[in-house]
Amino acid sequence: MIDSGAVGRWVSAPGAYDIVTGKARYCPDLDFPGMLIGKLLYSPHARACIRRLDVTAARMIPGVIAVLTHADIPGENSYLYAEPDQPLLVVDEVRFQGDAVAAVAAIDEQTADAALRAIDVEYQALDGIFDPLAAMQAGAGQVVAGKDNIMMHKTYRTGDVAAALASAHVIVENTYRTQWAEHAFLETEGGVGLVDADGGVTVYSSCQAPHRDRMQIARALGLPESRVRVITPYIGGAFGGKDEAHVQIHAALLAHAARRPVRLIRGRRESILTHVKRHPFIVHCITAATRDGRLLAVKARAIVDAGPYSNATHEVLNKFGEFIGGPYTVKNLEIEKIAVRTNNPITGAFRGFGAPQAAFVYESQMDDLARKLGMDPLEIRLLNGVDTGTRMYTGVVVREGKAMKASLRRAAEMMGWQQRGELGRQPATHLRRGWGMATILKGSGMGRGLPDHAAVLLEMHRDGSVVLQSGAADMGQGIVTVLAQLAAESLGVEMSSVHVVRADTAQAPDAGASCASRQVMVSGNAVLRAAVPIRDSLLQVAAEKTGVARDRLVLHGGRLHVDGQAHDLTVAELARRALFRGYPLQSEGRYELEYPADAPEVTYRYSQEVFQFCTQIAQVLVDCETGQVAVERLVAVHDAGKMINPGGVYGQIEGGVAQGIGYALTEELRVTEGHTLNASLENYVIPMALDIPELEMDVLEMPEPLGAPLGAKGIAESPIIPTAPAIRNAILDAIGRPLYQLPMTAERVLSALDAAPCADPA
Amino acid sequence: MTDMDIRLTVNGRLQHAKAGVMRTLLTVLREDFGLTGTKDGCSSGDCGACVVVMNGQVVNSCMVLAAQADGSQVTTVEGLASNGELHPLQRAFGGTWAFQCGFCTPGMLVSCHALLSSNDNPSREEVLTAIAGNFCRCTGYQGVVNAVQQAAAELRSANAEAVLQHD
Amino acid sequence: MSAPDYRAPELLANALGIKREFGADARVVAGGTDLILRMRDKVLSPKVLIDLRRISLASISRHAGEMHLGAYVTLSQMLASAEVRVAFPALVEACRSFAGPPIRNRATLGGNIVNASPAADLVPPLIAYDASVVLASLSASRVLPLMDFFTGPGKTVMEPHEVLTEVRLPLPPPRTAASFTKLGQRRSMAIAIVNLSARLTLDRAGQMSEARIVLGSVAPTAMRARAAEAILTGNEPSDEQFEQAANMAVAEISPISDVRSGKDYRKRVTGVLVRRALMAARHKLAEVGRND
Repeated sequence: MIDSGAVGRWVSAPGAYDIVTGKARYCPDLDFPGMLIGKLLYSPHARACIRRLDVTAARMIPGVIAVLTHADIPGENSYLYAEPDQPLLVVDEVRFQGDAVAAVAAIDEQTADAALRAIDVEYQALDGIFDPLAAMQAGAGQVVAGKDNIMMHKTYRTGDVAAALASAHVIVENTYRTQWAEHAFLETEGGVGLVDADGGVTVYSSCQAPHRDRMQIARALGLPESRVRVITPYIGGAFGGKDEAHVQIHAALLAHAARRPVRLIRGRRESILTHVKRHPFIVHCITAATRDGRLLAVKARAIVDAGPYSNATHEVLNKFGEFIGGPYTVKNLEIEKIAVRTNNPITGAFRGFGAPQAAFVYESQMDDLARKLGMDPLEIRLLNGVDTGTRMYTGVVVREGKAMKASLRRAAEMMGWQQRGELGRQPATHLRRGWGMATILKGSGMGRGLPDHAAVLLEMHRDGSVVLQSGAADMGQGIVTVLAQLAAESLGVEMSSVHVVRADTAQAPDAGASCASRQVMVSGNAVLRAAVPIRDSLLQVAAEKTGVARDRLVLHGGRLHVDGQAHDLTVAELARRALFRGYPLQSEGRYELEYPADAPEVTYRYSQEVFQFCTQIAQVLVDCETGQVAVERLVAVHDAGKMINPGGVYGQIEGGVAQGIGYALTEELRVTEGHTLNASLENYVIPMALDIPELEMDVLEMPEPLGAPLGAKGIAESPIIPTAPAIRNAILDAIGRPLYQLPMTAERVLSALDAAPCADPA
Repeated sequence: MTDMDIRLTVNGRLQHAKAGVMRTLLTVLREDFGLTGTKDGCSSGDCGACVVVMNGQVVNSCMVLAAQADGSQVTTVEGLASNGELHPLQRAFGGTWAFQCGFCTPGMLVSCHALLSSNDNPSREEVLTAIAGNFCRCTGYQGVVNAVQQAAAELRSANAEAVLQHD
Repeated sequence: MSAPDYRAPELLANALGIKREFGADARVVAGGTDLILRMRDKVLSPKVLIDLRRISLASISRHAGEMHLGAYVTLSQMLASAEVRVAFPALVEACRSFAGPPIRNRATLGGNIVNASPAADLVPPLIAYDASVVLASLSASRVLPLMDFFTGPGKTVMEPHEVLTEVRLPLPPPRTAASFTKLGQRRSMAIAIVNLSARLTLDRAGQMSEARIVLGSVAPTAMRARAAEAILTGNEPSDEQFEQAANMAVAEISPISDVRSGKDYRKRVTGVLVRRALMAARHKLAEVGRND
């Protein structure tokens, strides 16, 4: 093994210097000569018919350079990557509060605002359809003319659920409700469009998928993709919320029309009103078990409010169904998945992609079951947990699953699970303390049967410095660091010698989206592969120069090592000699996620097969008079396969848990009749520094045997998934009352306290 | 209404700008002085991405009219390093992974820098209180606490050394 | 809409002169943490902005039996003032609960009052401490109890030509203690669901010669729960008394539902917070007693 010392160490991100000095440029920081400010006009109604749309007056305003309506779009007026059914600019009907009606570009912000005000629109407000259950009924009217309100209705079955339920000793049956949740990436969506001299466009985009942006921009402009270039500058967070295109297409359209650079950045309110939210679910779930606590069956029906357009609804619901059984052996399962169109906010990808909602259901069910059976929550999870080799209800065989039980045991040990009551369950008359756990699995990668590949270009120069071109967007999750580490590791150079160019479609091959915790695997492996021929060239030269057999040579820290001893020859010297000899020092590496060929049939479509396992345990203190919940301690144990960048791994866990605490307790987009009432960071309440306890984290390293570079797998999504159910179960433990709705606000906890306590654990 | 002449000392340099009344300190810093390190996360004082020091105190620059700042001394993230050398806090932020996307970092750094100027050994609670107006969505706040305490230790030992050399 | 004219006079008289000339079309800007937002959202479109920063209205001083705080005193200034902390601890607790450090460095005492937000954190303790406000105009100044200042959300008795220049707080009588409690959705950067202040004064016999319960966020303006206060007055402080007063306070209010809370929850936690605030005040009294 080649070891440069870059992998597995706390290294600084390559962009750290730029970030701490304020030099890092994000979309809003970009400036070009003659640049205009772009803005979009939205409807004040959640649903309305556009009777008249007149932009003449707006176009007359001095300083207004472009005003676009749907009629001005040269290509297709629709976007979304899977099923492009959302208009870029509304044609005749506004279907939710975030539908854009017109776009303007002007010399400055005030002029752009004046242009928006000068656009004459006559809306005829229409009765919206806001209740997904009502929208499912016959005669509800159509949210989108000609399309069924039921966007998706699929059922997956395995085993014999009816028989299993009939034979069960114990059954828990509950209905769960989850909320619309907002990503609140700190940098709102933005794009800067530039027109090239040859009529093509270049777009700087705050996005997760630059190559897919390129496709969508080309489609809207009616240009071949070869004339569109997408570059990602620094990106201020995404969490799935920039997976789908947002304003980068509009920026391109405006720039193309104005023939000048256009910067289009959403304001915070606009951002909250327009981009996808985490889907709100209504889930009815029955879980059945034997007398000794073995799971027999899970039967669930999920209804989601999708908003008017498809976005990632099919995919999110698919993942929900894939994980509704949890990290448990369930032989009999039925999941009915229904997505309904409404005039509410659009919904789509958000860290976890349906798995957080599923985990809230199955991990709550597990604790309710444990209480009914008088079992310890840890015990029932260990009893039913999957392991390496378990064939799950999806048909997938877990290739590496030791972390399921290992994370449970480790988390229990860190929390002091067995001694948990000793701290005092009632520190004051009105306070109750409780402990709760949740353990989950989440797949990484797009799923079997879907394209899941990445390529990179790697080149070493004669001075030993390395440039890596990757199309993987880094929104802060740290893929650039990981790829730099892997390149350094495999070429035996210092990490500082590797320059990773931030994704630029004109230079880097497609890496697919930075989503589904996949880039470490696909782009990571692509880097390892790209490094092979370069390393071969260097070692070939080294062998020729030293006369030592190649298997005794190693590159490390920028220097040749012979039998483990540092040699005078540097990698730079070897690079110079290799180039002189004409040996290749540039290479493309391509990797497509592998699936074992001889595995049994996977019956659940698009199943993921590399799993992130993790367990979190929360200790909460509930104020029984106000319903307030304080998370006093939170233990998080996660499996990363192998940590490439520990700083990034711990950061992802902590950030995910922080988001999870918000999802559990306070975060909820309040929507009435299609109108969002709390579209601000003041009223959409996200925990701040004082609200999050000092997390106790541990990372297990159980190398993934297939499809993971050095055994490393993605960790991006799992941290947010178990937090809400762990807190829910801790509240249950504290107050003896179960909650079935997120977020568990103080108000809801107090309502729960009004109900009779459920039976004490036997 | 004509624009006003605004004079500010930003990171030790006297700067001039013309500003209409509704322009904020944030927009003048970013647009007129090119100091785009200071970020706009919400334009409403809720997120802290725009925090700068004005006359010795941290403020949300999105909530200060440029006219109100006339004559002030302002320090932004660009002013934390001196002579090209990073402040220990800036180095610590990189080393402890106190950020991921980095968009909150300029405001966070300024808040923490201000804390260190009045407290050379802040506790966890004191750091969290100092950044209670700085929102981070990526990483949470533990890395920030670690970074501040690491930088504080470094500054204390540097000061102790300086005192010894002086003696 | 045209941008307002900006003035930063050096003398109060000049500020008052502008107010005389423009009346309601001239708005005073201090910290701006609220006003700027409302102007950006076009809720307010004044013709003139009068910035008070050059006028010395940021001092904290003691005058026979009173503390005078300039309207331009920031929340951070109050937090840092030992004098304010000792004499008006509940006010300082309210300051500490307010927003976060950057906002506290800008937001002012006068601003928190003049905005007339029903949820203003400083108002309940100020009323509990019998604050009065000085309203200056070119012709005359008047001093008004803060209790009589508010008429509704965003509405006050201030005349268009007046400027709030100072808040006066009488030093509390002996054997007096006050507390502040707030229920928000997070520990910083939270607007109150309920915020309130309780103040108790004991006579030599240990009975409550005076009780104040001032509630915020549950009515169009901050309000005193007078019936609850009456239950306490003349009695010895006890858990039972506090419980009764808390229940009475709940009966006295009819709050609204908003994005932060439903009205029923507001009502209910008001009772809890009143009781806790009273207990906190009693606790402080006991501590003062021990120190005496």
